[in-house]
Parts: sequence; C-alpha cells; structure tokens
Amino acid sequence: MLLIGPIGFLTPWILAALAALPVLWLILRAMPPSPKLVRFPGTRLLLGLKDPHPVARHTPWWLLLLRVLAIAALILGFAGPVWKPSPDQVGQGPLLIVMDAGWAAAPDWPQRQARALRALDQAGAEGRPAALLVGDGRDEGALPFLPAAELAAQLRALRPAAWETRYPPDPEPVLAGAPSGLSVLWLSDGLDHPGRAEWLAALSGRGSVTVVPPEGPRQSLELVPGDQPALRLRSTGAAAPDVLAIGLDPQGTPRELARLQPGEGADDEAGVISRLIPIALPSELRNRITRFEIEGHASAGAVLLADDSLRRRKVALVGDDRASEGQRLLSPLHYLRRALSPTTDLIEGGLGDVLQASPDVIVLADQFGLAEAAALRDWVEGGGLLIRFAGPRMAASERLSEEPLLPVRLRAGGRDIGGALAWGEPRSVAPFAADGPFAGLSVPGDATVRAQLLAEPAPDLGERTIAQLSDGTPLVTRAPLGQGQLVLFHTTANAEWSSLAISGLFVEMLDRLVRSARVSAQAPEADRAEQPFWLPELVLDGFGRTTEPQDTAPVAAADFARGPAPGAPAGLYRGGERMAALNAGGPMALADWPGAPIERAAQAPGLDLRGWLIALAALLFALDALGSAWLARGRQRAMA
Amino acid sequence: MRPSADQLRARAEAASAALPALMLSAERLAAALVPGAHGQRRAGMGEDFWQYRPATAGDTARSIDWRRSARSDAQFVRDREAQVAQSAAIWVSAAAGMDYTGGPNRPSKRDRADLLALALAMALLAGGERVALAGQPPRPGRLQAERMAQALVARPALDRDEDAPPAEALRPGQRVILFDDFLGDPQPVLDYLGRAASLGVQGALMQVLDPDEDGFPWRGAVLFRSASGALRHDTRDAGGLRSPYLARLAERRELLASAARVAGWHFGMHDTGAPPSQALLWLWTVLEG
Repeated sequence: MLLIGPIGFLTPWILAALAALPVLWLILRAMPPSPKLVRFPGTRLLLGLKDPHPVARHTPWWLLLLRVLAIAALILGFAGPVWKPSPDQVGQGPLLIVMDAGWAAAPDWPQRQARALRALDQAGAEGRPAALLVGDGRDEGALPFLPAAELAAQLRALRPAAWETRYPPDPEPVLAGAPSGLSVLWLSDGLDHPGRAEWLAALSGRGSVTVVPPEGPRQSLELVPGDQPALRLRSTGAAAPDVLAIGLDPQGTPRELARLQPGEGADDEAGVISRLIPIALPSELRNRITRFEIEGHASAGAVLLADDSLRRRKVALVGDDRASEGQRLLSPLHYLRRALSPTTDLIEGGLGDVLQASPDVIVLADQFGLAEAAALRDWVEGGGLLIRFAGPRMAASERLSEEPLLPVRLRAGGRDIGGALAWGEPRSVAPFAADGPFAGLSVPGDATVRAQLLAEPAPDLGERTIAQLSDGTPLVTRAPLGQGQLVLFHTTANAEWSSLAISGLFVEMLDRLVRSARVSAQAPEADRAEQPFWLPELVLDGFGRTTEPQDTAPVAAADFARGPAPGAPAGLYRGGERMAALNAGGPMALADWPGAPIERAAQAPGLDLRGWLIALAALLFALDALGSAWLARGRQRAMA
Repeated sequence: MRPSADQLRARAEAASAALPALMLSAERLAAALVPGAHGQRRAGMGEDFWQYRPATAGDTARSIDWRRSARSDAQFVRDREAQVAQSAAIWVSAAAGMDYTGGPNRPSKRDRADLLALALAMALLAGGERVALAGQPPRPGRLQAERMAQALVARPALDRDEDAPPAEALRPGQRVILFDDFLGDPQPVLDYLGRAASLGVQGALMQVLDPDEDGFPWRGAVLFRSASGALRHDTRDAGGLRSPYLARLAERRELLASAARVAGWHFGMHDTGAPPSQALLWLWTVLEG
C-alpha cells in the first residue's frame, strides 16, 4: 500500500497511467470537433479561400478539462484509494487468525469474515504465510501454514457453530509446526471460554496478539425451570430487547404469538446484565410456542427451543367411570375431562396403570382406600401433584381420619348445608387470598356449595387452606409431601354437592393447579438408563435458524446432558416419546485480554474512495456528453 | 424538383394569407413618399399650366386661351407642361439564397425585397406611373398593385442559386429596378446592364443582404453550403476567413457599382436588419432624378 498524506492506494502501480495524461491532453486538443453545417448564400464568395491558420480551432478547453479529469478520476479510482487507511496493526510475521466461531460470534459474522479476509489479503500481498484456527471445537492436529490466498475460500465457507466457542484443549500440539514471530489476529466474540487464557498465554509467547472485539452486545436466552417457568435474558450491553414467542397459529402457520418484555429488575454480574422474564401466558398460547427468540439478534444463543418442560402437563384421571350413557353428566370424570382436556394431555385408567405413565398430575375423584398407596406416595414425594376430590364414598367412610395422602385430617360424615332437611343456604366461595395459587381469580356469585367434607381443626389448617367458603370452612387445602404436593377439593368434581363444577371458576382453578405442577421429566440424565440415546429432530445453525439435521447420529445421554457440543448442535431431540431441547444460550462471562492490544472499531476501516471516484468519472463523462451535444447543436439545427 | 400544380396552389393559398399584411405595410411605406407626376419642364401634354405663348400658325382656334387673349390684341395659347407617365419594371430575384435569414427576428431577404418592390410599385402607381413586374405588361392603377402583390407572393422560389432578370423584356424608355443579393455569378447582371444601356433604359440595382452575409460572424470549424446545396466550402477556421470574405464582398460591390455607373444606373445596398423606409427613400430619389 502506498500512502500519500491521508490517502492510501491499494494498487499504486495503476497511478503510473497518470503520466499519460499530458499526452492525452495533446491528442484530444489536436482532435477538432465536428464542423458546424451552415447554410450560407454567400458560399460562392468563399470558394477557393484558404484557411489562414489550418488548425487554429481546438476543442474547447473546458471540454478538454472535463475529459482529462474524468480519465484521471478513473485512473485514481482503479488504483484503490482509501481515505485514512487503518494502520498496519498486524505485524510482519506469519499470520495466524484465531476465529471464535461459537454462537456468540454469529450476530456480526460477516464483519468478522471481512476483517479476517482483509488481514489475509494483506498477508497475501506481502507474501506471508497464514493459518486459520477456528474455535468451533472441531480442529484437530497441528495447524498448517499455507499461502494466504489458499485460506480465503476456507474462511468464506466458515459458519458459526450452534454451540459455545471451543478451543483445542492443549495449545502445544496445535502450535507445534508454527514458525516463530507470529502475528496473531484474534477475532473474539467478547466472551470468556474454557482454555482462552491458556491460549492467550501460548500465543503471546510466540508473537504479537491483536484482539478484534465484537461489535455490539452479546445476548443469550435461558430457561429458568420451576413451577412458573421463566426466561433469563443475559446481555453484555444495557439494551433490553423484547423476546418473541414464536409458534404455530391455529391455521398451522408459524408466527409471533406473543412479545415478552423484560422487567425492570436487572442483575449485573461482572458486566453481564441478566433479566428475568416470566412467561405469563395463557396455557393454550403457551402450549403452541415452539421457540423463543431475542428480537433482532441472530444467534443460536438467542433462541430457546421449547420442549416438554414448557409444554402441556400430563394429567392422569382416576375415578369410577362406570356410569352408563344416560348418567354421563353425573360422572365427576366428565367435568374434569372437559375442564382439563384443552390445556393438558389426559390419561385415564386404574391408578396402577397411570403411575407407569409417570404423569405430572394425578386427579383422584372420590377415591378411598387406595390399593397402590405406597407407589402413589413415592410418586408424590418424587415431585408429583395429587389432586383429590371429595364425594359420597369418602363421606360414607368410617375410617376417613386414617386415610393417607390427604393434606388435612378429615372429620367423618361431612356437612350438608343447603339440603332440604338442613337449615341455612348453600354457601358461596369466599374471595381468594392475594398470595395463594388462586390469586386474582374472580368468584362468580352463583358458584355455591351445598355439601362438603370438614377438616379436623389443626394449627396448620389455616396455612394449608388455599380456598374457603364464605363461612370460613376450607374448600381447597394443600400440603407439601416430599418434592410434590397434595391438594384436596372438599367437595365433589360433579354438580352433586356444589355448582362449582359447572362454573368457569372450576376450569381456572384446575388450570392454576396443574400449571403449578412440576414437570416429571426433569433432567434427562435422571433416567439415563431408560433413554441412552437422543436423536436430533431439528437442529439450529449458529445464526439460530432451524435446519434439518445433516447427520442423524444419535447423541449419547451423557453427552446430551453436557449441552451443545460439536457432535450435538443445539436443537430439538427425540428420545422415545419425549422431546428435549438442547439450547445453546447460557451463562456468559466477559473476556479480558491482559497484555494484548485491542483493535478499536474507529480506527479499523479506512473509507474506500474507489466507488466515489468512479461515480465522479461517470458524472464527468455525462457532462462531457452534454457539452458535446451542446456544441453540436448548431449542426443539428442546420440539418433540420 | 418542380412542385406539382396542387402543391403550388396550396403554397400560393398559404402565401396569400400574408398578402393583406404585405399590402398594408407596403402602403404605409408608400404613403411616406410624395407622389407626383413627372413634369418634363417643357410644354407638352399635361395638366399643369406651363406658359402663355403667342399663337402661331398651326394652332387651332380651340387651343387659343380667349380669356388671356382678351386682355391684349394678340392671341395667346395656354401651354401646359408636358407630363409623361413612365413605365417601370420591377424584378425580384427568386434564387434559392433569397430565402435566407440569419436570425429568427429578421425577415428573409426575399420578404424584404418583396416588401420594397411592392411599396415602390404602390408609390409609383400613386404617382400615375405604369408599373409591372419584369416581363409583364405595365399598367396603371391601384388594382395593378394587388396583381403585383399576388404575383410576388405566388412566385415559387427556384432551386438554383442564381436568377437572372429577363433581358428580352427590356423596352426603351423603361425604368427598371432589380432586387437581388447579387451573390451569384455577376456576369448575367453585367450583360443585362450592357444591354439596358444600349437601349437607353435606366434604373437601379438594389442589393438586399442579411447582416450575417454582411458581417460574417462565424468561427471555428464550419461547413458552408449554398442555399441549393450545389456549392460547399469546408473550413477549420471560419473566423480567419472573415476578412478575405469581406474583401471579396466589397470587390463584388465595387464591380456592380462601377458597371452601374457606366450604364447610367444606380447601385444601392440594403440590410434586412435596417428599416425598409430608408431603402425606399433612396430608391424614390434615385428614380425621381
């Protein structure tokens, strides 16, 4: 590169053509313009006259100037001028480009490629060998140093991976064949990764390291599991973009279903700001969601694929469903089925059968004297939610106080309040406590309870009651058991004891309860023995776009548990009946670069003047054409 | 290429639309001149009183002015000044070059020549002269002006660069006025003048030129072409040709002027950029004398 003042020229030898301009000036000058055609009656008087000065008339000087300027602009333009070109930061030794190629590098990938290509071009122009170390965890063996031009194609074909940037674990064998005096250009994604410090130290020992920081903040999205799943949005910048929930609409077309806005609360952990976004969506909408993504951030880490943990709960209904067709409206299971089927997957059968299907929730409608009580207790303690409903069979039992798996001890016999032989009116439901699971639900006035089972008074009865009647007696009680919980509705699930089951409140209460259930399919490694392999169903590329899996090699459960890796890109995996998502986004930590100069974006690119100069030449040629037309106008008129 | 009869008629009709304007402007010009019969400053046939003279033998009794004779003993005859109505022939060149005009706000040479010719004819007719276009029988009267105007307008332009006045139409005692740019071959004009001089015909040459022809404003590379396209002259430096051209033009004028002097004619010049009245006055005084 040739530097003249603030302008550098990439191909300075073309400037030699400027020497031809004076010659061109003379040639253009000697070339007469086309004569004007004049109709003149006195032509006879002119016959035989000789021109006093044969070439006295030239092309007008301004036309000549236009043409010469246009050609000069062309020559300067093709010489590749750059205004204030970036100083040659990369040293003179063999070039080693280290490219972080994880998902965090995806948002500004083209700029990274362009920067690396520029460095390769420079090295190629100076005849330095170059090597490319791609931090996607796939490189093996010693780095070959090649002529820089041969690496350009490889660099252009490079794509970011759908997992975190990974460096070869040990720098020494990789750098075994590297010459000394390396000049290293490290295109960092701004985050810290395992082994980065070791690599920095190893490279600094072999030459000079220049770090190119990423443009803009990095962002990632992570699912926070729990009773109420939430998203954790991490960002290295202050920006708090919206999170889009994408899924199939009722017509089956993928579209944005909801837009979640990050709340106010932000935790700053060493430069990484993380925000919690609750997924406060109706169950029906939530069940449709296939992925969450950060708006305007194309990266696999900014995409969260939804799997079973976010999906429908599996609810098992157990009850006496022997009612005939005519008595369908009397069956408690009918009301439960109608209330739960839109938002959950229902299983029905005997208690022993449904326990094998490992449901999230088991609903027992008026069941007493359970045969599989021990297995059921194990299931609840493992995190299951057991919802029981009272009924005539429980009320008729003599040993009600000894019944296991109830949140409270019940008094035998029950209570009849609105019947024909009873004093008093049916009781309505009292408004819900603001801190309970039913907080915010509105109570319809016509939902009344005529009969109920009463709890034995106990010190903890008040805190176990999550819904009560207007006279203060409990309607719904809840108690934890192990990791799970027990819930009892003190009335029936059909309209026999109360009109609650035929009100909208019933549906909403059940929905709240079911959503509070923990998902039984917790971590995949929990049942490694059952599910040794996971098959990719759909994978993400580094930019967060979904693609078909190219190599459908099964992923061992042990590898699967460790998160996205070279053999297991982020995506949706199927193992038997279960779908599990492998999401790339996760905790982030900022990288620091002790001792390495960091290339500032402001000084990186010079302004390329080539396009401007060629445009100027075109403009001048257009002016020249206009001027020539103006000169020839006399001739045109004479011809007309 | 000769235009067909239909084309000619269409052209004449288009041209006659301009006729009233031509007549009007010619009339306005002619009104500036004082018309009058040409007194011959001798006794003869005429209307104006010239002198009383004693009657001599041969005078008829009817010619004696009895009122004057009654005041003395002798008889006197009242002589009138001889008045001769002259015949004038006007010729306007129809050469292709006469249609030239150098600027959009100037009339063509032919238009100007037609205007001058018609104005002169009107003035002469108003003075009682008999006037005609060359080659046609001269007639007096106002109607003749309209006939001439129609003939002038309807006359087609030639596709040649030169047009010569018809020498065979010369009659002794005629006055002849020629309008032309005289930029063509001068020899026919010189021959015409010689023949006119031998017949005792007097007249005037009026050279009508465009200011461009008089001033030669061109510069640079120019391809000159005569009006019909027959002659061409290519130059790289028209500005350098200006003085030789002007010298040749002056030479041409000198040739015509000297030939006119020898033949007893007058040679005048008119520029289409100048008002026409000046040229008309000059023509009038020349013909008066």
